[in-house]
Amino acid sequence: MIIEYLISALGLGALYALLTIGVALLFGVLGLMNFAYGEIILAAAFALYFFREQPWFFAVIMAVVFAVVVAVLSERLAFHPLRGADPVTLMIASFAVSLALQSVARMTVLPRAQGVPPESFLSQRVDLLGARVSVLDLLTFVLCGTVLAAVAYVMGRTSLGVQLRAAAENFQMAEALGVKGNRVIASAFVIAGVLAGIGAVVFVARQGAVSAEMGLQPMLVGVIGAVLGGMSSLRGAALGGFILGVGTATLEALLPSSLIAFRDAFLFTALIAVLVVRPQGLLSGSKVRVS
Amino acid sequence: MDLVIDDLYVQYGSSVMAVQGASLNVRDGELVALIGQNGAGKSTLMKAVMGWVGPHSGSVMIDGAAVNDRKFSHLKRGVSFVPEDRGIFSSLTVGENLRLGGVTRRDKKALDADIERELERFPVLRKYWGRGASLLSGGEQQQLAIARAMMLNPRLLLLDEPTLGLAPIIVDLIFDVIEQLRAEGVTILLVEQNAVRSIEVADRTYVLQAPGRVIGSGTAAELSASPAVVEYLGFEPNDSGKAAS
Repeated sequence: MIIEYLISALGLGALYALLTIGVALLFGVLGLMNFAYGEIILAAAFALYFFREQPWFFAVIMAVVFAVVVAVLSERLAFHPLRGADPVTLMIASFAVSLALQSVARMTVLPRAQGVPPESFLSQRVDLLGARVSVLDLLTFVLCGTVLAAVAYVMGRTSLGVQLRAAAENFQMAEALGVKGNRVIASAFVIAGVLAGIGAVVFVARQGAVSAEMGLQPMLVGVIGAVLGGMSSLRGAALGGFILGVGTATLEALLPSSLIAFRDAFLFTALIAVLVVRPQGLLSGSKVRVS
Repeated sequence: MDLVIDDLYVQYGSSVMAVQGASLNVRDGELVALIGQNGAGKSTLMKAVMGWVGPHSGSVMIDGAAVNDRKFSHLKRGVSFVPEDRGIFSSLTVGENLRLGGVTRRDKKALDADIERELERFPVLRKYWGRGASLLSGGEQQQLAIARAMMLNPRLLLLDEPTLGLAPIIVDLIFDVIEQLRAEGVTILLVEQNAVRSIEVADRTYVLQAPGRVIGSGTAAELSASPAVVEYLGFEPNDSGKAAS
């Protein structure tokens, strides 16, 4: 029972951490609270639906490719022309991108939810340290944990990562030192796209369906987790997402079945309590700027 | 490296004119100080040199090229800037901050040599190389900011209030380093509130009065000959630059 809970909680924590990093990275580099992040996930989910007859691994790769392409295109077409604009303008632009992509999906390929049955191996359970663990939970844990480790490596050990962290903290100063703004922003969107793609693979496997509105929940998870951890700190944002995921899994494990429906109410009450004490987020040094 | 600011006006919003008709020049190899009280427009003028704020009218030229021209590159011209808030990246280590200063350089061996040079100049940075920059004191952060700016081997170094809020012993250290850099041939524009020390180390000093007007300039002797400057500063600089007792 404990092993099952740990795998489930750590996996959900890692998944939510990926989503929050994607949101916080774009917020830091561009000052952009990207409400279209959910539609990047939608693009990946659509790829999983479109290639559902193909080998699963191929569909996963295509999901990541679709997410990266939509992320980069949204930057080039919508956000690049607004470079330097007021954060509120950027936020409204992201709403517009979100609604446009959602509407296109609804009018064309996803007028209603479409089933994407998970691969049969994902529905199985395996023995792990004497416990029967869901393969899907195990995959979530391994996949998200691996991607999180890869992101940590890129951000912590590579020149690109140092430049991204610097740009996320003080874009103008980073540019003054020679950090190439366009390259860093494009990289941030590519990374956010990869994270969204991986997130979509897990979400679709869990839900077994895709719909035009499916990006809303992961986008909210990303935003809330990032606010909890601290928008101005990528490490803080990842921590916020992780705590949110572990908290969700813990409440699911502990709450009696009659109260499970109120899980989010308990979770967000706790979140509000944390933000009352630390409005700037857990690891952020300054107050959160949401617009 | 010559910097020429000519009849510069900088406006914030639709009504606040932060700099009004400022003109100054910094010649190759000179250390020029720009002093004035809070709100005099010193930092705005520095931001205008960096192209971070555009001129309402007038011009800022470096080696004959306008800095607000889209093709102008401060990096290619060898201009380094240490802003008033130091611009240290708190999420990076001391070493990462320092290396980021040379992010455009491809000559890695020469960059390593320059890093070593700055670690010799600021031994505290070697001591805290792997430590998060947010854990440094204000004085240590200022040393890191100057060392990082030197990673470009700048021809023109812009220092915006480098001693602001620092302990006297660190202020002495910073001014010693500024003199050292001048002796190494770096052209420097130094914005400071510490008028006495600035006049002391600078070849020439400009005095800025709110809202962004130059009311006097020159050597200590030339400044002391201006009643308006002496009244504004509240002291009379003597020939050695120090306040007359």
